[in-house]
Amino acid sequence: MITVNAIGDACPIPVVKTLNAIKELKGADVIETLVDNEIAVQNLIRMADKKGCPVKSEKISDKEFKVIIEVGEAALAAPIDTDNVVCELPKSGKKNTVVVISSKAMGHGGDELGTALMKGFIFALSQQEQLPTTILFYNGGANIPVEGSVSLEDLKNMEAQGVEILTCGTCLNFYGLTDKLAVGEVTNMYTIVEKMTGADLIVKP
Amino acid sequence: MRVKKPTLIITFATTTQAMAVEKFCGDNQLPGRIIPVPREITAGCGLSWKAAPEDKEQLATALEGSGLGYEEMYIIEI
Repeated sequence: MITVNAIGDACPIPVVKTLNAIKELKGADVIETLVDNEIAVQNLIRMADKKGCPVKSEKISDKEFKVIIEVGEAALAAPIDTDNVVCELPKSGKKNTVVVISSKAMGHGGDELGTALMKGFIFALSQQEQLPTTILFYNGGANIPVEGSVSLEDLKNMEAQGVEILTCGTCLNFYGLTDKLAVGEVTNMYTIVEKMTGADLIVKP
Repeated sequence: MRVKKPTLIITFATTTQAMAVEKFCGDNQLPGRIIPVPREITAGCGLSWKAAPEDKEQLATALEGSGLGYEEMYIIEI
């Protein structure tokens, strides 16, 4: 058994050190890597899985973990690439969901029906256990987060629970609604693009 | 956390009827708003009128008087 000490090393060093240890093996063996964080454990397990090596991990304390990889002949024969080790960050429990509302109506067809559906969508959204991270309003959608809108109550409820509500300033200005915004903040195209490209999931009714 | 409270839900036979009621109530300053029929209720079309339980009589009278009518009235916790 070979022990690799990667305590105090940030990703991808623990994986690189372990791969280097595998490279130096003369025959099938077991490599035990010591690390101090869960992300390193996950990355090592992923690396071992990719190589088809049996792997197990043990939590010794909050700051000490042991990952044991059984390196077989097949894994030794495969090429080892230490230059392209990818650091993957752990997924947090909550998905970064962005809801994009770009018109007054939901879907195409009758606008009168579409408007009723959009009101229904926003209400149902506010009733979900898992609320979105952000709601973006632009173009015709900018008519919704304003004074007199029936959806205001739902949007305020969601905002109070931490949902970020952003409305396109250009659009408010175009529709003469700049003074009427009643929930959330005014935003610009850069932030809209940033929110959309950074989302795990975009929901567009 | 969302707080549930007793709510009046009025269902309709058709979507068109629900939308006509929305317009009628808006024009006549009657209380309430349109929402999708809550999952607890499996009757009516997909849209319903939501208001406070104390608005029940006023809405029933107004809807019957207008000729628009409604299907059912429910008081549920949502």
